[in-house]
Amino acid sequence: MNLFVLLTLLQDGLTTGAIYLLLAVGLLIVFSVTRVIFVPQGDLLALAALTVAQLEAGSVPGTLWLLDALAVLAVLADLLAGSRWRALRWLPVPALVTLATLFGPRAAAWYAMPLGLAIITPFGPLLWRLVFRRAAGATMLTLLILAMALHFVLEGAGMVLFGPDGAATAPLTEAAFAVGPLTLSGQSLAVVGLCAALVALLRWFFGATIEGKALRAAASDRLGARLVGIDAARSGGLAFALAAFVAALSGVLIAALTPIGYDTGFAIGLKGFVAAIVGGLVSYPAAAAGAVLVGVLESLGSFWASAYRDVIVYALLVPVLLLLSWRGRRAGEET
Amino acid sequence: MRPSLFAAVAVVASLAAAGAQAQIRIGAILSISGPGAAMGVGYKGAFDFLPAEVAGQKIEYIVRDDATDAQTAYTIAQKLIAEDHVDAIIGPSLYSSDVAVQPLANDAHVPMIAMAPLVPVPEKFPYSFAVAQPLSLMVAAVFRHMQAAGVKTVGFIGFSDGWGDQVHAATVTAAAAGGIALVADERYARADTTVQAQALRLIALHPDAVMMGNSATPAVLPVVALRRLGYRGGIYGNHGIVSPAFIRVGGAPVDGVIADTSPVAVYDQLPDGNPIKPVASELMAAYTKKFGPASVNPFAGYSYDAMLLLANAIPAALKVAPPGTDAFRMALRDAMEHTHELVGVSGIYNMSATDHNGQDARAAVLVEVRHGEWTAIH
Amino acid sequence: MIRPAVLALAAALILPPLLPPFYVTLAAYVGLAAIVATGLVLLTGISGQTSFGQASFVGIAAYAAALLDGRPFTGLLAGLAAAGVVAWLLGFITARLSGHFLALCSVAWGLSFYSLFGTLPWLHGFNGIGGIAALPFAPGPRAGLAVVWAVVALGLWGAQNLLDSRSGRALRALNGARLMAESMGVDTVRLARGVFVLAALYAAAAGFLFAHVQRFISPTPFGLTASIEYLFMIILGGADRLAGALLGAVLVVVLRDALTDWVPRLTGAPGSYEAMAFSLLVIVMLHHAPRGVLSLLPQGRAAAPRPAAPPPPPPVQPIAAAGGEPVLLLDRISRRFGGLAANQDVSLAVHAGEIVALIGPNGAGKSTLFNIASGVLPPSAGSVRLFGRVLGALPARRRAALGLARTFQHVRLLQGETVRDNIALGAHLAGRAGMLRALLRLDRAEEARLRAAAEAAAARVGLADRLDTPAGDLPLGQQRIVEIARALCLTPRLLLLDEPAAGLRHLEKERLADLLRQLRASGMAVLLVEHDMGFVMRLADRVVVMDFGQTIAAGPPAQVRADPAVRDAYLGGVA
Repeated sequence: MNLFVLLTLLQDGLTTGAIYLLLAVGLLIVFSVTRVIFVPQGDLLALAALTVAQLEAGSVPGTLWLLDALAVLAVLADLLAGSRWRALRWLPVPALVTLATLFGPRAAAWYAMPLGLAIITPFGPLLWRLVFRRAAGATMLTLLILAMALHFVLEGAGMVLFGPDGAATAPLTEAAFAVGPLTLSGQSLAVVGLCAALVALLRWFFGATIEGKALRAAASDRLGARLVGIDAARSGGLAFALAAFVAALSGVLIAALTPIGYDTGFAIGLKGFVAAIVGGLVSYPAAAAGAVLVGVLESLGSFWASAYRDVIVYALLVPVLLLLSWRGRRAGEET
Repeated sequence: MRPSLFAAVAVVASLAAAGAQAQIRIGAILSISGPGAAMGVGYKGAFDFLPAEVAGQKIEYIVRDDATDAQTAYTIAQKLIAEDHVDAIIGPSLYSSDVAVQPLANDAHVPMIAMAPLVPVPEKFPYSFAVAQPLSLMVAAVFRHMQAAGVKTVGFIGFSDGWGDQVHAATVTAAAAGGIALVADERYARADTTVQAQALRLIALHPDAVMMGNSATPAVLPVVALRRLGYRGGIYGNHGIVSPAFIRVGGAPVDGVIADTSPVAVYDQLPDGNPIKPVASELMAAYTKKFGPASVNPFAGYSYDAMLLLANAIPAALKVAPPGTDAFRMALRDAMEHTHELVGVSGIYNMSATDHNGQDARAAVLVEVRHGEWTAIH
Repeated sequence: MIRPAVLALAAALILPPLLPPFYVTLAAYVGLAAIVATGLVLLTGISGQTSFGQASFVGIAAYAAALLDGRPFTGLLAGLAAAGVVAWLLGFITARLSGHFLALCSVAWGLSFYSLFGTLPWLHGFNGIGGIAALPFAPGPRAGLAVVWAVVALGLWGAQNLLDSRSGRALRALNGARLMAESMGVDTVRLARGVFVLAALYAAAAGFLFAHVQRFISPTPFGLTASIEYLFMIILGGADRLAGALLGAVLVVVLRDALTDWVPRLTGAPGSYEAMAFSLLVIVMLHHAPRGVLSLLPQGRAAAPRPAAPPPPPPVQPIAAAGGEPVLLLDRISRRFGGLAANQDVSLAVHAGEIVALIGPNGAGKSTLFNIASGVLPPSAGSVRLFGRVLGALPARRRAALGLARTFQHVRLLQGETVRDNIALGAHLAGRAGMLRALLRLDRAEEARLRAAAEAAAARVGLADRLDTPAGDLPLGQQRIVEIARALCLTPRLLLLDEPAAGLRHLEKERLADLLRQLRASGMAVLLVEHDMGFVMRLADRVVVMDFGQTIAAGPPAQVRADPAVRDAYLGGVA
């Protein structure tokens, strides 16, 4: 392996690692606030990519109708749960997005991408309302199984709505830069740059805004947060919205680099989970290190022995887990 | 079966059912969801155009999805045979499902027409037939093109799944036969988002050409990665990639990719004297009318041909016994074994007691992506 | 309530001749799934170790069976051995992981093994191996079905025995009460590894049968999705009980089959909606029964016959002569957490036949000292002598073996288990039977002894009439008493009690004080941390007062009460 190869592999690993990091951040937000491991995040990633590709082709994506249907279901669920006018709060955003899709210049690339994000992001709070809120008091394992089941539902929906073939979206930039022997694609740089920017933005959000602080409070002490008037339901919805947004953005970014199919998302989401776990489900910098680690390991593993890549990546993960678990136990020992 | 009250009731019920059904039941096991879905859509699409009646008998199709899983296929086959009392099974469309279902169908004397490139062994499984061309036949066609182009070394990249394994095995054979050195075996998963590392590895070995053992849109990945890294050699694929979606997703980098495929995939480009052309054109005219011009694929052709084989044999079998009986199924098998010069959309079939596939070189066509179209090359 | 093993045995006898041919296959699949799920209930539902990798063990044994086709018994043994060894090796890691680390680790090996099954050249690739022989002595599908369900019954019977044993009680404690179990002398790491291997062996047994019943294998049924499905089964059925494994396997397999039939009929589009419909149903079921469908059924908790009258409390056996060397000697103990000194140069001695009380305001460092004595925390400096031995980093488990027993400030009982089982956990060290003996029910004599010990301890603390009550149903004060009974089951020489009187009513406090006096009379040493001054002053021989991590006074109650420093510590804020 020469330097050129090594650098190319690192660049490759870094790009995928950046996507894993985005997903890890989404998982961390949702987990810390609601204890749900949001497995279906990967499916939202795929749905976002397919949605934007379809918008760029000029047609109305099926996810739009799915969104509207979920919104109506959420209203019904709220009504059944005894709430009255407040139940209607699920409607404005989907209605607005629907209008923007039907009457906007949806095929234009500058319009399709933000529109795609706007279609997928509300899935977060809606799915949270319909699937997870009812089970808020269940064991962590039950919540995990619910998340798994939701993954299969969304994956199936992706196939029905978009068919089994993958799709690619227009890249943000076609530019390419020569750095020594390497050719860096503008899109890869954009992915890494946007991921960094988004993580910085989230830091700011959690550090400086009222909503962000409320989320952090809800994450660190659920009961306490409720006592000071932070609405647990609201913070849950917000966390899921953030996660869905992050997933959608990842999907749109990555679909310009590689075709994304309805079933591509799960594997990507799993790697995000790996990164989040390496971050101990609490620490963002550690999750970032984990994300890059997984991305680079994959790249190197593919080079050394592509057929055994998964074995290599996951076998190398085990000592890391062991170390983390030991450290975690030391720090958080029950007494 | 051990004697029991329940069993006796079941026998009576099934007799009654047999009396009521004056029709032929055909089960189909297709991989419509799961990793094989991209191809499964083609297999399933053809069922909209299969005959509703053959030789005055109504045909009932019972189509089931095995979710690209052999165990599911096995269960479904059990049910089709024992509960639905089918007269024949079309499929499975997945190779490992074929291997799993084959013994069941043969034990029950139900003719089964595999649609994955299974090579039937009539001596062991007399009820197994296959419509898909053996991969050796298809890959050999690709390697002939390589030889003509002066290729001496070839690198392989494919899926880490059953399809990748099969194409790899055929590639090993074809390379040896053609005197071409196989220098690499790189794998990636269908859901991977990058194959940069594998592409680098391939390029480092400087093969004259690259053979791909993948399918559907994820097959775009190695082509794009290789071309971006400046690889100039020929890139070859198999019929699993021959669909408009491959070009739509791949864009300019996939120009020049050469692959084998069934005649039906380029039906309108076949020479006028080719007997397959009218049959294939008829099917595809209806197919594209329903599913859109971008829906052309080689897989719909297998379902169509499977039914063609059955329809060809049903009249002879009906003379022996009514549908739903063991005798009918045996007669069906015998008649299918005597298929002679039957023109399908994927090839021309000549079955015998030792050959239950009956495809020959007429079934393999080479195509190349030129200016964003799959173009037949001769 | 009929035991699940009996149901399975009935199924093995009744189903094979009765079912129509297709349902023979389906019932066999239910059985195979139930075997794996039974192991998973033990591993995940009971002992709290989530595994997304059970299908790997099924696969290992299935491949062993396929490769050794023609020599089925070698195949079976090789499969069990291979899966067992792999699990034993993985167990070094998994038994030390917790929560989501373990879940992810299981995903890691689940994916790795799937990849290996498809890639290792001698396993015939992703397209699998066909033409495997049928089961020996059971060539037809009906005989195969009978064998499968006989194994289901055997597996359930073994699991039932295990849960009703010394190891079973300890297994339940693995789920979120590891520290407590360690304090009762349970080697939790070893036990976690043991049950991990056991669950893998269950999976392996299913794998061997799978290969010979279906007679074809490929990597797909041994991948991550299959493992997830096993988890679906136990969660849907009810993860904390064996019947849940059986019910879950039936639910999932039958539902899947029904959906492949009915969804295409209803939608006209096979292949598009089956998986979605199944998963939606899973979601809806979990909404209505988050603890499994079994929890919806009327509960027939196995009500053991109540003893007619509670046996009289057994006489207290004298332990040791009073006086002499201290039983527990804490010598100049310091403990820091970062910059904070929780204990500074604290010394304390407890002698046989003596009750010492440790008191002090909140945050004085009592709990830290208590934890250092019990072996939960290592001291930063100073030494701990127990029964004359200098203890280094001796874990809580070993201290229990030496004769130290403790209770917890926040009650740590297995809330769903009976008082008897909770107390019997304290008798863990009095038994020796391992998992294997429990599985085969060879531990009955010993088990009877342990139960008798538990009942005796219950009688001593006045809980003889509550033996069959779930511990969680008792008021908090009584739960503390259960903890004391559990500790007594260890037949300790030194008893550490963390706020035993909290939540007790006046009469109960009196009874507790009487009990402790009796124990003292028998020669037991007692160290208690307590807030109730009156209780302490009436009971203790000596009182040690702590504040800000240091001892501010020590001596007989009367002397301590008069100490101005103590008055300051307690009343300073007020005065």
